[in-house]
Amino acid sequence: MPKEIQIKVGFGDQFRDLTVRIQDDDVKPWQPGDRLNLIGQSTPRVDAVAKVTGTANYSYDQKPKGMIYGKILRSPHGNADIVSIDIDKAKKLPGVRAILTAPEIFEDESARYAGAEVAAVAADTEMQAEAALRAIEVEYDIKPHCVTVEDARKEGAPQVGRGEQVNVARISPRQRRGRRGSNSDMDERLARQEAAVGKVIQDSDVVVEGEFSTQVQTHAPLETHGSVCSWEDGRLICWASSQATFGFRNELTSNWGGVRAKSCQILSEYVGGGFGSKFSAGREGVLGALLAKEAGVPVHLMLDRSGEQLSAGNRPDSLQQMKMGVNKDGVIQGTRIRSWGTPGTGTGGAGAHNDGIYNIGEVDKIEYGVRTNTGGAKAHRAPGWPQGAFALEQMMDMAADEIGMDRVEFRKKNDEHPIRKVEYDIAKDRIKWNRSLTRNGSAEICQGLGIASNLWFSAGGGGASALVRITKDGQVEVRNGAQDIGTGTRTVMGMVVAEELGLEMNQVATRIGNTDDPQGPASGGSTTIGTVTPAARLAAFHAKKELMEIVADRKGWDASELDLKDQEVWRIGEGSTGMTFESACALMDDDAIEVLKGRPRRNYEGFSDTNAGVQAAHVEVNQATGAVKVLKVVAVADAGKILNPLTSESQVRGGVIQGVSFALFERRIMDRQKGRMLNDDFENYKMLGSMDCPEIDVVLLDVYNGKSNTQVMGLGEPPIVATAAAVANAVSDALGVRMYDLPITPKKVLEAIAKRDAAKEVPAQKKGERL
Amino acid sequence: MVSKNKNPENPEKDGVSRRSFLQGAGAAAAAAGVARIPETVIAGQNGVATPEVLGPEAESIQLKVNGADKKASAPPSTTLLDFLRNDVGVTGPKRVCDRGSCGACTVLLDGQVVDSCSMLAIDAVGKEITTVEGIGTPDNLSRLQKAFIEKDALQCGFCTPGMVVSCTALLEENPKPSRNQIREGLSGNLCRCGTYQNIIEAVEHVSRKGG
Repeated sequence: MPKEIQIKVGFGDQFRDLTVRIQDDDVKPWQPGDRLNLIGQSTPRVDAVAKVTGTANYSYDQKPKGMIYGKILRSPHGNADIVSIDIDKAKKLPGVRAILTAPEIFEDESARYAGAEVAAVAADTEMQAEAALRAIEVEYDIKPHCVTVEDARKEGAPQVGRGEQVNVARISPRQRRGRRGSNSDMDERLARQEAAVGKVIQDSDVVVEGEFSTQVQTHAPLETHGSVCSWEDGRLICWASSQATFGFRNELTSNWGGVRAKSCQILSEYVGGGFGSKFSAGREGVLGALLAKEAGVPVHLMLDRSGEQLSAGNRPDSLQQMKMGVNKDGVIQGTRIRSWGTPGTGTGGAGAHNDGIYNIGEVDKIEYGVRTNTGGAKAHRAPGWPQGAFALEQMMDMAADEIGMDRVEFRKKNDEHPIRKVEYDIAKDRIKWNRSLTRNGSAEICQGLGIASNLWFSAGGGGASALVRITKDGQVEVRNGAQDIGTGTRTVMGMVVAEELGLEMNQVATRIGNTDDPQGPASGGSTTIGTVTPAARLAAFHAKKELMEIVADRKGWDASELDLKDQEVWRIGEGSTGMTFESACALMDDDAIEVLKGRPRRNYEGFSDTNAGVQAAHVEVNQATGAVKVLKVVAVADAGKILNPLTSESQVRGGVIQGVSFALFERRIMDRQKGRMLNDDFENYKMLGSMDCPEIDVVLLDVYNGKSNTQVMGLGEPPIVATAAAVANAVSDALGVRMYDLPITPKKVLEAIAKRDAAKEVPAQKKGERL
Repeated sequence: MVSKNKNPENPEKDGVSRRSFLQGAGAAAAAAGVARIPETVIAGQNGVATPEVLGPEAESIQLKVNGADKKASAPPSTTLLDFLRNDVGVTGPKRVCDRGSCGACTVLLDGQVVDSCSMLAIDAVGKEITTVEGIGTPDNLSRLQKAFIEKDALQCGFCTPGMVVSCTALLEENPKPSRNQIREGLSGNLCRCGTYQNIIEAVEHVSRKGG
């Protein structure tokens, strides 16, 4: 039975009263003016000491007794079928304990990209395993390949897939299957939509259009994918570099690859980054478990850097054609969008979110997935959003310029988000939007400003339970089996419990990353914190209630009048009773109070279902060399209630840095002739380093959104959405010529300058060539 | 095919001889501290010194790691990083790129920063090796480690051991670095989560306090 409560929701000077129905055993969200000890205070990570002293043991660092090393053999060919694999020589080499072949394990003879798994070896040492890989003889049936969207879309292009698989497929709106005639219905509907939106655009005061492209970006977590697997009496124990401990476990107990562990424990106390690439055990997880089973000893199978870059995930590229109709009053009337992207050898998951964030009028949007002979895409920090935002935000500037409206005012005109309305002005103020800069002149160094927005949906949801344990001697522990991939989830889980129990941080032990503990979510969609912390708070609240009942019973007090604050038992409204937390715990008859509580499945009605942000970039461009330097990024972000400003700010900074890196540097480079990735390493795959890092000014808005008892929203993904778009707009602002293609390399800058200068010499410009 | 010297009587006349080139390259490399070609080898161009051949079988290797003697049997081709991690269980230094481009394996060798993935364990014999474990321990944190914690100069933490070692060396060499000098000092270390600004703040915090 839900209960009704009155709460205040809002932020800044915009609060309103709201009556909400919450789960009957849930605790009321913190209210403005509540006396909070830890929540909202910058709190160092609970695992920071282990991390700065090298004592944090990651999966990569595990060494159970008897452990040997696993390695994977990969196909060197762009597109091939495996005809035969001869392991006889390899088997006889010293130290070799187990060899598996991919066609046998995965029932798949194809090796559709250079880097596809062919076989795996476990041997006593890494050198022995590598020697064994070299001794495996593989016969391939080599097929023609295509490794770029451009090549794969060509008429008569080599077939990437097998059987009936075509290279290009419409992925949105989806083709309907099974119902006769429905596909042609869909085609007719799309044709009607195209005509209707086309007319809306045509009838608008102004039309702008452009074609934008973004590159493939690899996740490149520093700890590679993989695990250390050990079988103990039929139970599989697996130290996994995973951002979904329970998902990883479920895969290894499933039929996939034939692991079928009857019982399985995943341990992921420390994970060296994930960014969306570590949801699945992957083929390497299956191979590691099976090698350990066959060898009869624990096996360490972590990918090498090349394997990671080739096969462990990337953000798909995109080609986005956009056409927008805008009226002179600044209101967008309609938008036509066509986009293509490659998720590797499949077709799904390469969409670009270029129709969110603003009201862009009537929309006619079709997305296509394009198969290529490349390593598969995986969810990458805000999948689809940074590439979509890049195209959309260039269009926003183009449209604003065309109608002669300030670029921020134009955005405000087409944006109804209650939080972002405030964020625009903060961003403008912090970046000094109206300052005068040397733009588009003959000067060698010019500067520019750009702005862009983000949107996210991360209030969390059901799927987490937490166990809070208070012992008779006053020890407190909170457990949840999910992982912390560097976001700070573990720390805020401890903070929430300490706050509820009136304790200091060092009085609460946190245990995470262990699937023998209560269920927790994958670190996905930035929903972990919003899913885990309400469960932790609820469990702590009920553990406290039990403790207060014991105290009340012993002292003859009324339990409903008691609370815990400042490590003492308080009488609500009166102050401390003088009884310490430890002496309260000592009154227990049993050894401990243990409370397991699940998070309410649904989010409550609140202030806003989405969290929003605005970012502004200030860049400097050298017109002689084409080099772009991002001087400053202002990132204004809302993440519901800010539980820990210190780690929240770090999340935003990290998103901005990966966004700048995406804007200027990172790209997978494919050799079209050989069909191979050329930069499957860290010296040629350029990522942002300390010399390239801009000043990042983070502004966090504290929003009481009422969605759950902690009201928090995740912040992993939102900040990366707007950055590349803002940087690209700033570069265009500096140069006076639009940038259509990421990453913005010096070569592309020089080409854009040349194009601009050539256009200046021709007085009458063609339509469509304008900025 | 190797092209023959046009003037075999007087190789110097053709400009740079192979010998003088090697000497020059060796000297330059030694000065930059990248490839340590021992001076005896360079001098040995005129005769003498047959290098001792080790391996490929495992040899007993003893290194001084964080002040303690660590001994294990490993092939001479074992890198310092792999020896530390796989053979003597010092897992603070991380293997990330395995070719000297990310700095996650950074250790100090007689106080100088090196990428332990890119040198052999046997070349570290007789030298003082300091890993992150030797900078400070959970019960006895260095000032820099404390500043890392306070400034949240870490996220996933996988680059952190290398960052702590590099920053320690940076402050040792230059106790009052400018912001740009800190950036330069960190330029061999990659962080994927994006903690650079926090690391810079942590180093400045120690520097201001006269660390």
